[in-house]
Parts: sequence; structure tokens; C-alpha cells
Amino acid sequence: MSHTKHTSSLRFRLHDRASETTKIFSPRLGAASLHRPGSADIEVQTPGILTSTVRGLVPHLARDTMRATQAIRWVNVPFESFLEHTPPILTLQNGPHPLHRILGFLPERHIVSMVLRDPSDDREMPPNGKDFVSANCIRGMTVSDWRNHAITCEPDVILALSDIPFTAGGLSQKRLTKSIERSAAWLADILKPVDMDDISATRPRLNVLVHMAGGSVLAARKEFAYSLLETPLDGEEASAIRPYKILDDGVSGYAFDLVPLHKAFSDPPSLDSVPLSKVSVRRTAMELSPAFNIPTPEATAKLVPLLRASLEILPPTKLRIAHSAGSPHEMLYLVRDVGIDIFDAHWAQRAADIGIALDFTFPAPITVDKNGRDIGHNMYDARYAHDFSQFADSFAEQTSEDSLAPSSRCSCLACSPMPPPSALRHSTIDEPVPTRQMKPNTRAYLHHLLHTHEMGANVLLAAHNLSVLDAFFAGIRSVLSSRPDDFAREVERFAHVYDGELKIFMLARKAWADVELARGKGRLAREKEKQAQGTLGTAVELD
Amino acid sequence: MQFEVLATCHTTKARVARMILPHGATMLPTFMPVATQAAIKGLTSQQMESLGISLILNNTYHLNLRPGIQVLKEAGGAHKFQGWDHNLLTDSGGFQLVSLSKFTKITEEGALFASPFTGEPTMLTPEESISIQHAIGADIIMQLDDVVSSLTTGPRVEEAMERSVRWLDRCIAYHVREGRQHTQNLFAIVQGGLDARLRGACLEEMIKRKDQVAGYAIGGLSGGEEKDVFWRVIKQCTEKLPEDRPRYSMGVGFAEDLLVCVALGVDMADCVFPTRTARFGVALTRKGALNLRLHKHAKDLNPIDHECPCPTCSDGVSRAILHHQTTRETAAAHAVTLHNLTFQAQVMGGARDAIINGTFPLYLKSFFADYFGDKGYPAWCVNALRSVGVDLLEDNPNAKVVTGRGVWWEYASAS
Repeated sequence: MSHTKHTSSLRFRLHDRASETTKIFSPRLGAASLHRPGSADIEVQTPGILTSTVRGLVPHLARDTMRATQAIRWVNVPFESFLEHTPPILTLQNGPHPLHRILGFLPERHIVSMVLRDPSDDREMPPNGKDFVSANCIRGMTVSDWRNHAITCEPDVILALSDIPFTAGGLSQKRLTKSIERSAAWLADILKPVDMDDISATRPRLNVLVHMAGGSVLAARKEFAYSLLETPLDGEEASAIRPYKILDDGVSGYAFDLVPLHKAFSDPPSLDSVPLSKVSVRRTAMELSPAFNIPTPEATAKLVPLLRASLEILPPTKLRIAHSAGSPHEMLYLVRDVGIDIFDAHWAQRAADIGIALDFTFPAPITVDKNGRDIGHNMYDARYAHDFSQFADSFAEQTSEDSLAPSSRCSCLACSPMPPPSALRHSTIDEPVPTRQMKPNTRAYLHHLLHTHEMGANVLLAAHNLSVLDAFFAGIRSVLSSRPDDFAREVERFAHVYDGELKIFMLARKAWADVELARGKGRLAREKEKQAQGTLGTAVELD
Repeated sequence: MQFEVLATCHTTKARVARMILPHGATMLPTFMPVATQAAIKGLTSQQMESLGISLILNNTYHLNLRPGIQVLKEAGGAHKFQGWDHNLLTDSGGFQLVSLSKFTKITEEGALFASPFTGEPTMLTPEESISIQHAIGADIIMQLDDVVSSLTTGPRVEEAMERSVRWLDRCIAYHVREGRQHTQNLFAIVQGGLDARLRGACLEEMIKRKDQVAGYAIGGLSGGEEKDVFWRVIKQCTEKLPEDRPRYSMGVGFAEDLLVCVALGVDMADCVFPTRTARFGVALTRKGALNLRLHKHAKDLNPIDHECPCPTCSDGVSRAILHHQTTRETAAAHAVTLHNLTFQAQVMGGARDAIINGTFPLYLKSFFADYFGDKGYPAWCVNALRSVGVDLLEDNPNAKVVTGRGVWWEYASAS
């Protein structure tokens, strides 16, 4: 069957009454689905997750381990690293589904979205231009190139460029106005129908998400939302997007970048917040991870009116995506108070970089010896050296009065290893013998791998943490579906049971920096370079 | 251990054997990937199984430091600790004592070294080495030997050889006393440096102990000696070693070295090279090594090798995307590691089939022609293979021959 370009469509439907306009910010159940002619739809149940990538891959997961991770259904690909080469290599791939193909994602299993900038990267950037966005690269991106790359690469979903300044200091009213105008104009550009080689073909459209601009100013956010609903005054713009009457007609969903907002609302972390240890270790921990994105409950509370300001006049039936939420707590609050549908898994993937095995569920377990327990384990901790249990034990805990958790084991490749579907044979006489009994990986083994700086530790953790986060969202959907009236109460209970400051992150980062320092200066220099280049992943061991 | 020779080459000394160990059968000749710290760098046990690899190596010195013997005992041995249900070999720890610690002093009792944790003087005796290897529980364990650099000359070489024989006796005695001779297979390590007389003496003594030794390793090589000397020592050993015992050449991992060793009658070899070089972005192919970091790969949408059955190549991972990710993302290191380990296994698997089919000399010629092509055959390979009846230059008398190592590395060439 010949493949026709740009025929996939992203759909979103809400399962319940939440579409009533009176409840536009209620938690909601739904499904984002990607329809590809000729194959089964790919569904992401919402609330749910998407997975962050760096340099075109899910950090620590090669193609086989990535595919063995069922939690990965939607991946978001920042384009900026590919600007290192002209033309970018992602645009060189031929054949059907070129972006999937060159990066190894499966058209039948994975939704791939493309965004210019890594949404978790909060470094200062040179100012954007009238039709030009700065990226973490020598080159930036022009609006017309972005459109051309989207047409060539065929992502399932494209994020329109937006003018969200990443420069220090507050923004003037003038700058905000310009930001809104530019973002709207750039959106209009990518909404234009795609000219096909075949003159008779209908001109397809891209599946476009738009970043909700306006920064931390309520009025500016409202203004941007309003610009999506306005009939363009500019005649050229109006005719370009036809038959859409307004920009919003062509938008599949709304995206929120939380990192710049967190940054606006949080004090920068000081060295004092790193646990006491040698100064060099504390400094290393800070230097290696400058972007510290764990919001306080107060900071999250400040986000809510801003996100609502963007959404209040827009149709409630569209997909809402939040990038770089900082904790499960923040995710819950934004589901509860804003009705966010999809979150990226960034913080959970970062936890895998620094040796944390997540271990939490929603609803929270009911038999809790103490509140404020950690959402995971700092696997560097000596207490795990002799611990032969599996990474997470909360899967076996009772989470409500009347039910036991459906599965007592995390389903990831570390906790539920599966025999490989096949094994290579290298000569005619080879006699492959399958493993007799697959056992979960243990905390003691993970502890060992972390202290010996083995990359395998991060593989196991990346797969595990994505799976735990995915199960957490399954739990959210389950409560919203079976007893929606309890949801708000369960969110409060979760916030009591689990520490929302993620103190475990501080401890793990320090332990991680200890091991990095012990590996010597060359190692550390590479790690710093890595951290400066990407916000997820660790450097490759070269000695 | 059950060891059965299934086929021998009609021309060279190469042979195919089935070695059945407590964790299953491994077909020889084979290459053993090195999982120094109880993990092949970045790969899960399931990934290793998917590559059709059935025998890997752990380092005793490292496991003794971390996680330590107590943890391994609690885990029920290193197999269970790392989730590896296939065969495992451990070295004795002696090599690392000498290569990693400047302060190691060898006495008759054992190797005296400063503990990396406390700095306290610590003694590793032959008995202690075997005891640690018992706790690790590998299917094949190695005697503690007195290792000297292959470049050492003078009386120290003879002393080390003779001590290695005495330490073998102590290892055997301890192994038998602990009743482990039926669950773990102890290998002797032939020493004697580059001196044919000393090698001969060592072989003679160690072969006398054949009934209590499951196999033989050839040690004290791959330490920077002349390759023309290297192969002669290997040949001297394989000619003397008993037919009904596996022969293991330690620290050998370049494809040409592996095939020469196989032709000389070696059954097993190990090296960190294929996994280590993968992390630097170097992919091994039958046409030589590719350095994926070089700019010339930046737009190349071909896989490393179209013919390769590894997960990376069979999925069409392009050189361009590997160029973009290699040395920056750990997952790119995993992808190239999967490839390089498959390459090593394919070279050895191809050798097994060729030996069985009676085409091993042709296999050697074709491999070397592809691998060195117009870059020139290393003279030592030509010499070594001639000594067992294969003339690489037979059909190609004008082929270029180069002296020295002869290894062609893409990263050594400008591009």
C-alpha cells in the first residue's frame, strides 16, 4: 500500500461530562488517539504521560529496551540538536514515516511529536527575531524552515514555534505584546495547508499544538488565548489559513511550558540546600544540574490561575499538555485544578539519571506508618547493599479499603524481565538455552551498579521510572472513573502520604556527585559538558 | 564439565568443541565478553541472551571490592546477583593486583597489596582467590598465577613461572578440599613469558596435573609483546596442551588475533576491546573498524553493516543517527556494544561452521582479504597462518604485507 504523506490525524475525546462549560477546569478522563489510515489507532489514555527524548532517543534506552517499555507511547523530540548539521539529518530520511524510521520509533505503536526547543531547558537564549527563534545551537530556526522541516519529517504532531523569551529579568509590556503577536503569526504559518506534489490531492494539514504564551502575566495570557479566537485582521493571514476562520480551528491542543513559570516563582536553589558534605561535592551537585525544577506547593498554586487564564475562553474539548511538571504532586494538582490531560515524564526520567528508583502509587497506600514518605529510593544509600527485594514495593500495598493492587509487581523490564523473543545463532550447531527462571532485578544489584558507575543502572531505572509513572496515571484514571467524587480527597491524601519536596532528590544528587567526583576530573568534565548540552541523560563512560 | 571435540580442521589446528558447564552448553571456539563489574556495560542480561551469547567473564578483583563476597553469598552467587542464567568465568584477581596497584608485592605465600579501602596491607593467597571464586560461583574459575608483564626479562620470569606451578597445586588442593571440583571447573594458567624453554617447562609441569585441571589458559601474553613472538608462544602451547581440554587465550579480542589463535588451536578468548571501543563510537565490521564520530558518517543513512544480524543493524539504525548520538548518549553506546559483541560472535560462529564444513582455510583467506584488503596483511598473521598450512598470499602473490601490529583504525586516519 502506498503511503500518503500527512494523512495521520490526532484526535482527542473526553469520556465524560467534563466538557460542560461550567466545569472546564475539572479533572477529566479522555483519550488522545492518532489515526493512521490502514492501521489501528494509537491511544494514549488521559490523564497520561509522554516521554522526553534527548538527541532523538529516550535517555538510556536503546531501541530494544525502549520498545520493551510499554509506558512509552508518545515521545516528544526536540529538534535543536539536529541543527548541528545542515541540512539536519532528520530531514534526510526517505520513505514512509521518516521521523519514526530514522529514530527507531514504531508507526504502529508510537506517537512522535516534534518541538524546536527542549521544553525543560531554561538556559538564557539570545533574543528571538521577527521570524526567527533562537535555539541551543549555533543556528536558530526560521519560521519557514520550521514548517518545511515539519513537512519533510512528518512528525505526528508539531509544536508551533512561539516567542517565549528565555532572557533574564522581567518582561516589559511592549515585549509581551510582541511575543503574543509573533506567536500568533507563527502559528498561522504552520497551520497553512500542505501543498502536495499531486496537484489533485486535497491539501492536508499538520497536527499542530500551540504553546500558550503570555508568561506570568494574567492579562497577557488571556490576550494570547483571545488572539487564537480572533478572525485575523490581516487579509493575507486570513486567506492563508482558509478554510479555518480563526487560528484555534486548526489547533489540536494547547501546550504549557512550566519551566519558565517555575523559574519565575521559585528562588534559585542555594548551596545550603544541598546536604552537608565536602564543599566540592556540594558544588559539583549544583554545577552538574543547574536546572532545579521542583516547585513548592505555593509555586504550583501560582501556576493554576495562569493556566486557567489561558484556557478559560478556549474550547474545553481540546487536549491540554504540560511540559516539565516537577513532581507527582504538581501533576495531581494540575489534573485537579486545571484539567491537564498529558504530562511529560521529565522529572521521573531525571530521577533515573541520579539513581532514584520510584516507588509510589495513586491512590496512596492506606496502611502508612508515617506520612511524608519518599516517592522513591535513593539507591546509592548503603541500606540497599544487602536488600534483595525488587525496586518498588508499593505495588503490593493496599491502596483503598476494598481492593488490593491488581498487580503486585511493576511491569517494567527491570522488575518483570521477559525472555528475549528470539536469540541469535552464530553457527549451525549453536544450541541457545533460554533462561530457566526470570527474576526481578534487585535493589542490591542496582546499588552495586550505581556505585561502580555502570550504565546498566540507568537503563533499569529509566524503564522502571517510566513504568511507575505510567501506573500512577492509570491509578488516577481509575479513581476518576470509578469514584470521581473521591478524587480531590485522594489527591490530598497522596500529598500527606508522600513528601512533595522530593528531598530524596537532594540526597541522591549528592550521592551521585560523590561517585562522579571519585571517578576523576576527566569524567567530571564530560558530565558537566553533558549537563550543559542536554537536560536528561548522563555522560558516556569512556575509560 | 563435559568437553567434546566435534570437528577438526583438515589443515590448521583449529577445532570445534562442545563444552557443557553447569549453566548449559557453549560451542567453541568462542569469544567471551567481559562483564568486569557483573554487567556488560549498559546491557541487560536479556539483551545478552538475545545476542546468542552463552559465556561471559566477571573479574574477581572487582567483585571482591564491590559488592563484596558477603553480598554475593547472600544473593546466592554472581549468576543470581546479575540475573545471568548462562555460563560465567572468573579470573583469579592476580592480573588486576599487578596492573592496578603499584604497591603489590609478590611473596611465596601470595600477593601482598594495599587494600583500596583502608590502605592496610592485605594478602591474596591462592587459597583465598579460590575461596572468593567459590563464593562468586562461576562455572569456570582460574588459578591464582604469578603474573609478570610480557616485556619482563631475566630471572623474574622463571621465578614467576615456577611459582605459578606451585600456586596451581595450592589452588587444586583447596578446590578439592572444598569439594567444588564437580560444580566449578578450575583452569590452570600457563606462564613462562616469551621464553620457549620456560614455556616448555611450565607446560610439562601443568600437563602432569591434567586430571585435576578442567582446562588450560595461556597467560602472560597480550601485554605489548611483538606479535611475531605472541603467535609462536601460542603455537608452542597449543601443540603441547592435551587435546581433551579447552584452551583459553587470555586478553585476546582483535578479530585477526582471534582467528590466528583459533587456527593455532585455541578455543576461548576474552577482551574488553569490543565493548570498550563501542563506547568511543567505534563499530567493528568485516571491512575494518568504523569510527562513527568521523564527520563522513554524519549524513550516511546506511546501517553499520547491512549483513549484520545484530539488533542495531537489523533494525536499520543509521550511521548518521549514531554519529549524532555516539559518545553523547549512553543508549548510543549500547547500540554499538550490541553490534560489536554480535560481530565478535559472528566471527567465531563463522569459524565454527567453516571448521565443520572443511572450509576453514578459505574462511581465513576471505576474512583477511576483506578485513585488511588493500591496507596490507600484517606479516605476523601471514607467518602464523603459514605455520599451520594456510597461505594468505597464495592466490594473491602481489598483496601488500605490512610489518608490525598492522591494525587499521579508522580513527587513526584523517577524514
